[in-house]
Amino acid sequence: MTPRARLHRYGPPLLGIFLFCLAWQLIGTYRLAGLTWPPLTAVLAYLADPAHHQLLGRAARTTFAAVTLGYLTGTGIGLALALLTRLFRPARAGIDRLVALVHATPAIALAPVFMILMSRETIPVAISALAVTYLIYVAATSGLEATKAAHADLFRTLGARPLTAFWRLELPSALPALASGLKLAVPVSFMGAIVGEWFGASRGLGLLMISAMQNFQIPLLWAAVLLTTLTSLILYGLLGLFEAAVHRRFR
Amino acid sequence: MTRLSQFLARNWAVLLLLALWQGWVSLADLNSIVLPAPWPVLRDVLSHPALYLANAAQTLATATAGVAIGLGFGALVAVAAWASRLLAGMLTPLGLIFSSVPVVALIPILARLLGYDISTVVAIVAVSAFFPTFVFVGAGLKDLPRGADDLFSVLGASRAARLRHLVLPAAVPNLMIALRITVPEGVLAAILAEFLMGRSGLGFMFREAASRFAMERALGTSLVVTVAAVLCFSLAHRAERVIRTRWS
Repeated sequence: MTPRARLHRYGPPLLGIFLFCLAWQLIGTYRLAGLTWPPLTAVLAYLADPAHHQLLGRAARTTFAAVTLGYLTGTGIGLALALLTRLFRPARAGIDRLVALVHATPAIALAPVFMILMSRETIPVAISALAVTYLIYVAATSGLEATKAAHADLFRTLGARPLTAFWRLELPSALPALASGLKLAVPVSFMGAIVGEWFGASRGLGLLMISAMQNFQIPLLWAAVLLTTLTSLILYGLLGLFEAAVHRRFR
Repeated sequence: MTRLSQFLARNWAVLLLLALWQGWVSLADLNSIVLPAPWPVLRDVLSHPALYLANAAQTLATATAGVAIGLGFGALVAVAAWASRLLAGMLTPLGLIFSSVPVVALIPILARLLGYDISTVVAIVAVSAFFPTFVFVGAGLKDLPRGADDLFSVLGASRAARLRHLVLPAAVPNLMIALRITVPEGVLAAILAEFLMGRSGLGFMFREAASRFAMERALGTSLVVTVAAVLCFSLAHRAERVIRTRWS
């Protein structure tokens, strides 16, 4: 790429992000949005100050552990359900309906059931897992259907056993859709964990946000939100790179 | 007979869940403060229709207003970005970033910024609808029907005419996709916002019931929330399909 083309490609996005940060800073400095909008540098300084590392670190460890556990559990359940409908096709319509219903149910509506079923510390994991399950199930089932008819015919004509066809043909053709699902599940798993913490968890970033909101601890509020969103974005970006690699290889 | 078996094929998993719920309550002999059975929950909803309806109407009105504002602004900004390449280059990455951020994390900030008010709930829903709309409509505007753009330039159409006859119609199907995606998110955002800071609506009703361990009321609210969300979801889905078949 010539320097000129590079400027055309990367210039405007970088300028946009820079202007966004500048606007955040100016609105905060001149109090254009009132006292509850701190300048960007104040939030960053709050995050960088070692005095706050214990509080933020402990909350972040709890939340990120819940996110990881929820993400992995949800992925496992989603894949297992997708495989089940692949092995036993008549089950498909019923599981489709159940998964769609659970997805359409706002997380908050399931909270009382979770409060009965499990301890308050596991609710974030459960809500996160539930939200991830839906995405992975949809991605995996549509991925398994993405096998090209000509390829399936070839496998059948050559007399491949169903298991061989599954490993060598259906699974590889499902990978691109699955990789996209894994990427989209990142913010969803964060959302689930944070909402889950609002139902009585004793620590975590979601809880920190709410208590900071109620107690007018403005820098803490913004720092917790920034930490959460940045972590989610970075993981989303990394899985985006993985997705691109899978799409190049398997499409 | 075929109708019944069709119904069973589609709904067996949901029915199984209900049966497990009922069976668990009966077998473990649970107190209704811990977990009421399905029927008393339904009875609570049916015997207080006015209360549930009023709160559901309020939540749906808030969510609808928020989604409408978010969709409108999102489409407007997308069209503005279409008019200027620099603006599009600057705004698209920001839109992508914000539409992949866990939106619920922004609720506490918006609540603090705008105050504990019903208009804040509308604003929260609008923000959650704005970014996906901007991204989807923007993508639709980039993906104009092949050749149509050339035809317009050959015929010497002005920029305004192009906007009116080519770009705006091309944006509609993607606007409907955005609608389908933002409606469930909007309902969730509205209920969460009511839960955190509202004084009315289903989210508030739920928190109030859960805090005094009125589990029948809390689960009844869950039921109404689910029905409302599924209804909105399928309406948006149908609207998208109707427009899509009419439009192309």
